[in-house]
Amino acid sequence: MPGGPLAELAREPSAYRWLRTAGWGFARVFSLVALAVAWELAARSGAFTPYMLPALSAVLQRIWSDLIAGDLLLNTGETLYRAFTGFLIGAVAGIALGMGISRNRFTHWFFDPIISVGFPMPKIAFLPVVMLWLGVYDMSKITMIAVEAIFPVVTATIVGIRGVERELLWSARNMGATERELLWQIALPAALPQIITGLQVALPIALIVAIVTEMFMGGYGLGGAMNTASRFADSRGVFAGIVEIAVIGYALVKGVMLVRRRLLLWHQEALAPSTV
Amino acid sequence: MVQAQIVIAGVSHCYRPPSGRPVLALEDVTLDVRGREFVALLGPSGCGKSTLLYLIGGFLPTETGKILIEGKPIAAPGPDRGIVFQHFALFPWKTVRGNVLYGLERMGLPREERQQRAQSFIDLVGLSGFEDSYPSQLSGGMRQRTALARTLAFDPKILLMDEPFGALDAQTRGLMQSELLSIWQRTPKTVIFVTHDVQEAVYLADRVAVMSARPGRIKAIVDTKFDKSDPAIFRNKGFTDKVDEIWNLVRIEAIKAQTGRTS
Amino acid sequence: MIEPANAATSGGSQRRMRAALLRYLPLLLLALAWEVGARSGLVSTLALPPLSTVAAAWVDLLKDGELVSNGAASLWRTGAGLALAIAVGAALGIFMAWWRPVNVLLSPLVEIFYPMPKSALIPVTVLWLGFGNGSKILLIFLGCMLPVTIGAFNGARSSEQALVWSARSMGANRLRMLWDVVVPSAMPELLNGIRTALALSFILLVSSELIAAREGLGYLIGFLGASGTYDAMFAVVLTVALLGFIADRIYLVLMQRMLRWRE
Repeated sequence: MPGGPLAELAREPSAYRWLRTAGWGFARVFSLVALAVAWELAARSGAFTPYMLPALSAVLQRIWSDLIAGDLLLNTGETLYRAFTGFLIGAVAGIALGMGISRNRFTHWFFDPIISVGFPMPKIAFLPVVMLWLGVYDMSKITMIAVEAIFPVVTATIVGIRGVERELLWSARNMGATERELLWQIALPAALPQIITGLQVALPIALIVAIVTEMFMGGYGLGGAMNTASRFADSRGVFAGIVEIAVIGYALVKGVMLVRRRLLLWHQEALAPSTV
Repeated sequence: MVQAQIVIAGVSHCYRPPSGRPVLALEDVTLDVRGREFVALLGPSGCGKSTLLYLIGGFLPTETGKILIEGKPIAAPGPDRGIVFQHFALFPWKTVRGNVLYGLERMGLPREERQQRAQSFIDLVGLSGFEDSYPSQLSGGMRQRTALARTLAFDPKILLMDEPFGALDAQTRGLMQSELLSIWQRTPKTVIFVTHDVQEAVYLADRVAVMSARPGRIKAIVDTKFDKSDPAIFRNKGFTDKVDEIWNLVRIEAIKAQTGRTS
Repeated sequence: MIEPANAATSGGSQRRMRAALLRYLPLLLLALAWEVGARSGLVSTLALPPLSTVAAAWVDLLKDGELVSNGAASLWRTGAGLALAIAVGAALGIFMAWWRPVNVLLSPLVEIFYPMPKSALIPVTVLWLGFGNGSKILLIFLGCMLPVTIGAFNGARSSEQALVWSARSMGANRLRMLWDVVVPSAMPELLNGIRTALALSFILLVSSELIAAREGLGYLIGFLGASGTYDAMFAVVLTVALLGFIADRIYLVLMQRMLRWRE
């Protein structure tokens, strides 16, 4: 975790800043390499059986052969498809619900306990119920993912809209904006940073739930593949799955951060002022 | 006798926080403002001057007393009373041009005219060349100019200004004050200007309404109309005498506000 | 625009109770809708057993000990795993904040493993420790450690420099300073990290028990589902969900108490 608040980073001369980022990049690579080396050495040392701790090289070989066979792409595609679909449904529904709750007294009263009670619940416990109702294919998985993803999005939307400065709304009303225009043209853009934070929380959740549902129901997908490997005591397959999922999780989070930066360009500009 | 453009009669306002006791912010405020007059609302912190401004603007409901604009009571905020806030209240996701265009879009003008009008006001406040910058890229003074351009663009009859230069450093503030004055002299509007700075009030306004500490009341109205074109005006005897006169009125209220704070 | 929900103003516990009742009324209405809807014949009672039947099944499970024995197993696993995660995670986070070299080495790893879906660890813990308690405890320990570490790290780093320096000038040695200054100021962030870990522990518990277990509430759900006794299955599902909710609420109370004491 790079140190210092962002504001401090902006005040440093840019050469120093580059060095810092490069330094952290190097540290990241170094730590990862150190971990990889430690893994390989530990596996070869004989302290663990190849079942308990297959060598990193063996695991990487396995990933490679899965890639060539097309299995890796197939499974990854399945998992990501479910995760993204569920995420999108949850995101759209979450934002819509959040807007409705902010705007309408009745909706607020009705959904507030549902959200506050539902949030800390392990909603995954409802998976067998969802399966009962919607079968064992994609529909139930995606529904479960959407249900889990909706909570952080709704909460973030409500907080975001509630946090809009009163003076922004008053300025818009001053210029003749209607209630509708206030919601869509002012409140929503002003709440966008908070909403995107909610989406950033929801996406990894969608991935976790996708994997768990796949493990439970079997079949294709990264979770399903790991479950199969586990059933067949295929420890290399299990470790390969962990590495693959770790990489995807990391890539996803980084990707989302990039998207955030692009969308909130006007927000980030605070780091590069051009004053007079 | 010409009726005043803005008539405030017997207005009181009670502020009800979500937790705690209600507070009487304004008590029986009466003030008449003539068309194209520059009036300053001056008083210590917490005296309710901003509250009065928000009532005139229609952002808070008038519960006791009445406020008439050209003879008609106000119902809601509207483009006839433009407001400028202390912390600019610019839309951060819009550029300078986007912000200025927002009010114009609601006026139903054709596209060409909107663009031209926006540009002319951006030029008027001296921000030519920064049309495509975002507020987060601008300094405090530039942001306030944007806010000013945005409000002036939709041509309100009345300008409500809530300590607009309070968030700026002293040098920028001085610059903005003289710019505001020259803009006002060119496009005369009725201005109600809230401030706690006596010098600023005397410099800018035709009349200064001094308010008491909470609950706010109009304590005195002092005439401050004189020739403001003298560049050394701040050292002019007539000016400094006026400042002293008003400062004496305010000082007691400021002390009251300070000690009253413990309750 | 809707204003935020107001906290109850004056008026004592009766008013507060009424407010709480009003707040949770929609849940009561949902429960009612469930009962009525299930009995109406619109949906098969197999897919949606009426709430009353579910309640009866819950009582049965309680009476024949199934609920208690499996519940105890689940809670023991969660408790042990969480305790380990908190102890090791907090220590790790504070050391990372305190000694730069540790930070440089471990920060990247934390950053890389934090986005990994911890549920991916389920098969490997089963591989190592089978279907019993051990694999679940290990899973929860590994999975919940990172949020605690990050909370402890951020909290420790936020401990005001001034506090640290003044403690140092008063002759406190490093270890003492750690205990007297850093840990207390790290509390809020650390406690929040633990809250996240708590929720995560329940998710990991249920997931792993659904997938690979011989006892526990998750296992019970799967078992009842497979044998077609859906009313009992619903009963356990609701029990688990409620346990998660109650655990969070109890933790919140504890957290607030701890923070108040620290103040």
